[in-house]
Amino acid sequence: MIGSIKRRLFASAAVAGGVLLAVTLNTPAEAVPSYARQTGSDCAACHVGGFGPQLTPYGVKFKLGAYTDTDGKDGKVPLSAMAVMNWTRTAKDLPEAPAHFNSNNNSAVQEVSAFLAGRLTDSIGTFVQATYSGVDRVSSLDQLDVRYARALKIGDKEGVFGVSFNNNPTLTDPFNTLGQWRFPYTASDFGFGTGASPLVENLAGSVLGLNAYTLWDNNFYAELGLYNSVSKSTANKLNNSQVAVGAIDPGKFSGPGTYWRLAYFKDMKRDNFSVGLFGFNARVENVDDPGRADRYRDVGVDAAYQFLGNREHIFTVNASYVREWQKLNYTFDTLAASENKNNTLNNFRVATSYHYNQSWGATAGLFKTTGRADSGLYGASSYNNKPDTAGYLLQADWTPWGKESSWGAPWANARLGLQYTGYSRFNGGSHYIDEVNGVDRKASANNTTMLFLWLAI
Amino acid sequence: MIMEPMRRRGALVAGCLLLAVAGHALAAGDARRGADLFAEECGDCHSAVPGKNKKGPTLTGVNGRKAASVADFAGYSDSMRQSGIVWTSDRIDAYIAAPKKIVPGGKMKYDGLADAAARADVIAYLLALK
Repeated sequence: MIGSIKRRLFASAAVAGGVLLAVTLNTPAEAVPSYARQTGSDCAACHVGGFGPQLTPYGVKFKLGAYTDTDGKDGKVPLSAMAVMNWTRTAKDLPEAPAHFNSNNNSAVQEVSAFLAGRLTDSIGTFVQATYSGVDRVSSLDQLDVRYARALKIGDKEGVFGVSFNNNPTLTDPFNTLGQWRFPYTASDFGFGTGASPLVENLAGSVLGLNAYTLWDNNFYAELGLYNSVSKSTANKLNNSQVAVGAIDPGKFSGPGTYWRLAYFKDMKRDNFSVGLFGFNARVENVDDPGRADRYRDVGVDAAYQFLGNREHIFTVNASYVREWQKLNYTFDTLAASENKNNTLNNFRVATSYHYNQSWGATAGLFKTTGRADSGLYGASSYNNKPDTAGYLLQADWTPWGKESSWGAPWANARLGLQYTGYSRFNGGSHYIDEVNGVDRKASANNTTMLFLWLAI
Repeated sequence: MIMEPMRRRGALVAGCLLLAVAGHALAAGDARRGADLFAEECGDCHSAVPGKNKKGPTLTGVNGRKAASVADFAGYSDSMRQSGIVWTSDRIDAYIAAPKKIVPGGKMKYDGLADAAARADVIAYLLALK
């Protein structure tokens, strides 16, 4: 079993997320009150709805300034903590009960995190998250982003220039559209995810990168990052991703993985928008059989709009589309594990939200993944050999605190929410093959309801 | 911004009187529109709550206050400390129109509010703060 998973994951890290048991998928959630204590600002200044992670322009600039803005007072401790608890019900029982849990109606302390998050010097700040997963029962270094930034002036134009050392390509992005930061901001580990996703969204914890970025003239954002994979033993020590949980060889980059990002950002205070392009290229080879490498080339477009007004009624739209070109030199030629040498994967996401008075929120999202049919990669779980998965997400939430005048500010932070994920297609169609039991399963059998309580201090 | 109606009315009257005393050419602003504009333009960094400082100092009581004089705010730039400004409505107007021109080297990351009527509204709101 492990051998087949290993071959399949190596064949395409991008598609593995869609066919592995959903319990191995962790959707990190982030909320960091130490930043509020550092700046004296309320959570709602940086985050839509008074709770992380969806950033406002103020939050964007705080991040790009290397998390160093302050109210000028000394003695701020850059530590925070967070917990996410949830109860999850799927329309039909899970194909297999996860270890320590039932096949349905599971409640769990899904994650407990500690953050080193804040200003270290005038120019250096951090966003570092260590997490214990109450589902997988392992600890991990979830997120690592250590930044240096400084202001730069050329002629009469000003900008921010920075460098980030990090462990996830999209972690560095300041907008709310790319893999790490888009809706849903928390998802159940007992759910079924949102389908296969491109390589750039599957690297958290298994790479280290150095990125240079700038926001020039408050409008033009550019970023370039170089990544290398960490060794399997290091990955297993640092994180509880699919690598550690499944004892899977994540592969090794042949040469650096390159991440690039361009965006135009316009903040009119009352409202704001961004449009952008991004991409990631990497060649992944087998650690134990180096030489031929599978090549992944991801290119995406994204756009976002926020109406903030006087913060009483906030409306947002975030959208992204990514296309991945896979050239499976190793998987096709050496392993003969794919039907095609060249495959594609397309990922579309859109979400819109409304928040009233920074307290009451409603969000609706659509997700759709399509890809070229490949019996080798998808045949075990798909009737038509395609990875196609599509559906919708609905969430209602209540954030009682997080405003300037809130009780316990900025220490007490909570969000209570109800989230529903509905599937119209999963692994190729409205029906797919339950690999664990070798039986037919409806896509809608995976429909998931989650009640969650998210706390941060 | 939460103010009781009577208190708001009193504050508005006081604000108008201050504007009149100042005797400058600023058009009278609308403090209610100013409250919304304050939330949009200023509220992330400045509080209207007395004694509450953020990245910038509280703006309650700003009228007639010497620049860089909020005692428990530690984030002033040297430029602001040395500016010698006393915040009257016309000085506030000039500053929020072009902060970097009035206080070169200041810390405030704000490009300015070009609309004179909007500035008048914000100033009316600031003057009404108690």
